[in-house]
Amino acid sequence: MTAVVSESPRTGLGPSLPRQYATIGMLLIAPTLLIFALVIAYPLVYAVYLSFFSIYTPTLKGGWVGLENYRVMLTSAEFWSALATTIVWTLGTLTLQVVLGVAMALLLNLNFYFRSLARSLVLFPYFVSTVVAVLVWRWMFNDVYGILNRALIVSGLSDMPLDWLGAMPNAMISVILVGAWKYFPFVVIAVLARLQTIPEALYEAARIDGAGAWSRFWDVTLPQLREVLLVIVLLRTIWDFKEFDLIYLLTGGGPVTSTETLPLLVYKQAFGMNSMGLASTYAIGIMLVLLVFMILYLRRARGDRGTAT
Amino acid sequence: MTTPTRKIDAAGLPLTRRRALQGAGIAGLAAAFASLPFTRPARADDITLRWWSPQSAPAQLAAYKFQIAAFEAANPGVKVVFEPTSDETYPAQMAAAFASGQVPDIVTHIPSFSVASYYAKGLVEPFDDVIKAIGPEKYYEGANKTYEAGDGHFTGTGIGNTAADNLWVRKDLMAKASIDKIPETWDELRSAAQKMQGGGIYGVPLPFAKNSATSFVVTTLIHGAGGELFTPDLQVAIDSDATVNALEFYKSLRELAPPGATSYSWGEMITAFVSGATATGYYAGRVLVNVNKQNPAIADFITCAQYPTISDKVAKSTINDFPSVFIPKGTKNLETAKKFAAFLFVPDGYIKQLLAAPGHILPVLRTIAEDPAYTSDPIIKKYPKEVELMTVNAAKGYNMGFESPAHKPNTKSVDIIASDVLSEMVQRVTLNNENTKAVVGDTAKKLEAIMKS
Repeated sequence: MTAVVSESPRTGLGPSLPRQYATIGMLLIAPTLLIFALVIAYPLVYAVYLSFFSIYTPTLKGGWVGLENYRVMLTSAEFWSALATTIVWTLGTLTLQVVLGVAMALLLNLNFYFRSLARSLVLFPYFVSTVVAVLVWRWMFNDVYGILNRALIVSGLSDMPLDWLGAMPNAMISVILVGAWKYFPFVVIAVLARLQTIPEALYEAARIDGAGAWSRFWDVTLPQLREVLLVIVLLRTIWDFKEFDLIYLLTGGGPVTSTETLPLLVYKQAFGMNSMGLASTYAIGIMLVLLVFMILYLRRARGDRGTAT
Repeated sequence: MTTPTRKIDAAGLPLTRRRALQGAGIAGLAAAFASLPFTRPARADDITLRWWSPQSAPAQLAAYKFQIAAFEAANPGVKVVFEPTSDETYPAQMAAAFASGQVPDIVTHIPSFSVASYYAKGLVEPFDDVIKAIGPEKYYEGANKTYEAGDGHFTGTGIGNTAADNLWVRKDLMAKASIDKIPETWDELRSAAQKMQGGGIYGVPLPFAKNSATSFVVTTLIHGAGGELFTPDLQVAIDSDATVNALEFYKSLRELAPPGATSYSWGEMITAFVSGATATGYYAGRVLVNVNKQNPAIADFITCAQYPTISDKVAKSTINDFPSVFIPKGTKNLETAKKFAAFLFVPDGYIKQLLAAPGHILPVLRTIAEDPAYTSDPIIKKYPKEVELMTVNAAKGYNMGFESPAHKPNTKSVDIIASDVLSEMVQRVTLNNENTKAVVGDTAKKLEAIMKS
């Protein structure tokens, strides 16, 4: 047997076994690489390529402008204003999502009747389509028929309907509120999962030490949630920063440009002004900002893996 | 002998597995490839036409369904798929369709100025054959003038006329407020709106949003102040006293409009008047059918007129967006698309389509306007004065791409509308209270940049 094994096993019969394994490995990984190249690498490289051109969207024809689009972007008040708006929107909605999400998760972690039903229902806003959600909210915000204005007038809080979406700061507040309502269930899911793994012994010890409810939350729960909250904040920052449909459908970026975030500016440049080159440049700008958060997230994830091993 | 046999077996076993895996993989790929549509042999008659239109009210969809069924029955193997777009989003959708090469085969009801813009960029098929098939002698005289391109071809044709900016009023509210005539000047309109406002009813439903509806309204007002967006040779002319006056008047109407008018578009404007939430309206003829269906209580009290101007010294005019039919370049079914485009004007279906919103889309074919099947419609019969007024005014109407018979066609109009430059100007003045003259100056520069692009 030994003699047989020690012989060159495949001489004359084809490639060696390790080489065949390598080939099969490459074949198996090829679809992933192909899909990655098609749906991530190609659009990314193409966007960078387009950003060096002045291109008319419908015809995709245009000329080389080098770094001119980048100069326009960096010197344009529109870009910086949209960046500031994006930051306000992201910070506003993210803060509300986290506060609401943690509060709701704490509530859903308690024992009460119909807890399972409540846990299911709380996910509803996250799963409902953005278009449907916006249509419902627009109807609620409506000046003539909307339930919110009706409630304000009936309760005597206001004599006249409030212009929720067409005046500032109402428009930004409304968009932030709807965004928080739509996305806070994500925080609930993640935090609730973590809450269920916090050892009861920690709370027992805190109680023995005389800690009240607030102290237990502050000194036990919150430190235990720190890791998961960090990941949530990073992920939601990335997602909220590039939010398009919810804001576009609610306000279209108005009044004037008060709720025009960077993704809306990209859309406006690409399909309103038909400047695909400049739109690509703005998109690259967004990508660079998000890259910072992405790196933070990856470092965090790598750190976690390191700790685990 | 046994050892070599075992050796081959031992070596062969994993190979067989791999081969089986490879075989399965290849078979899977082959099956997937074979199932792709482009590998199936195409039948000669396997044609699907994609039809886009922003006009898609339920009654209109029913009329389109009738026309599609009739066309499919007459052309076995051809399927027509209707895909709705909207007045606000079609520029972006068309831009994306052109850029991706995934164009619809036929597009209807978008303004003529957009067709002219696309044609100038080589994105539209000449339409001469279709007009010939419809019969040029059947059209009203000059009906296709807005579709004449510089190269002698037609860019498309009108599927109808629309008097887009009528002033709609309620005679019952006017009587209640002791207003004895329909406002003809801005002062009269503002005063009437003030008198009729109250008890949950607002004076005007004008939009203050960043959209095409606001751009149309401000254009009406600039023309109503005796101004224009461009000179006849297409130099930017918006930086004028007329524009400043128009914006100041627009701003003065803010307190007479519902609070939510800051996000109104066409849909909200018509709903506001039809539902009785506003005493006046700014809209095309669809008001007639909507009032009769949705709020019949006011059906006997509504009427329309041309929108007031700054004074009686400025002649009144009407925006006609000249709803079009055209065929985008890049369609894979050019001949069938042309055949279908001409088929849309066959009396049975065309009349059904027009009467889906009587008075809204007015016929461009003289033969249809005289057809008893069209004239006997209850709405057309109930409001003969209003329909006649809109028909006459629409026929001599203008729009952003064709400001007057003296103007050259403005092939940048769709870019101007899509950019929201005009509506943004309105918002800056009416909502942000920015200096009107400065805003108008800024807008002129933006328009110049678009014209140069």
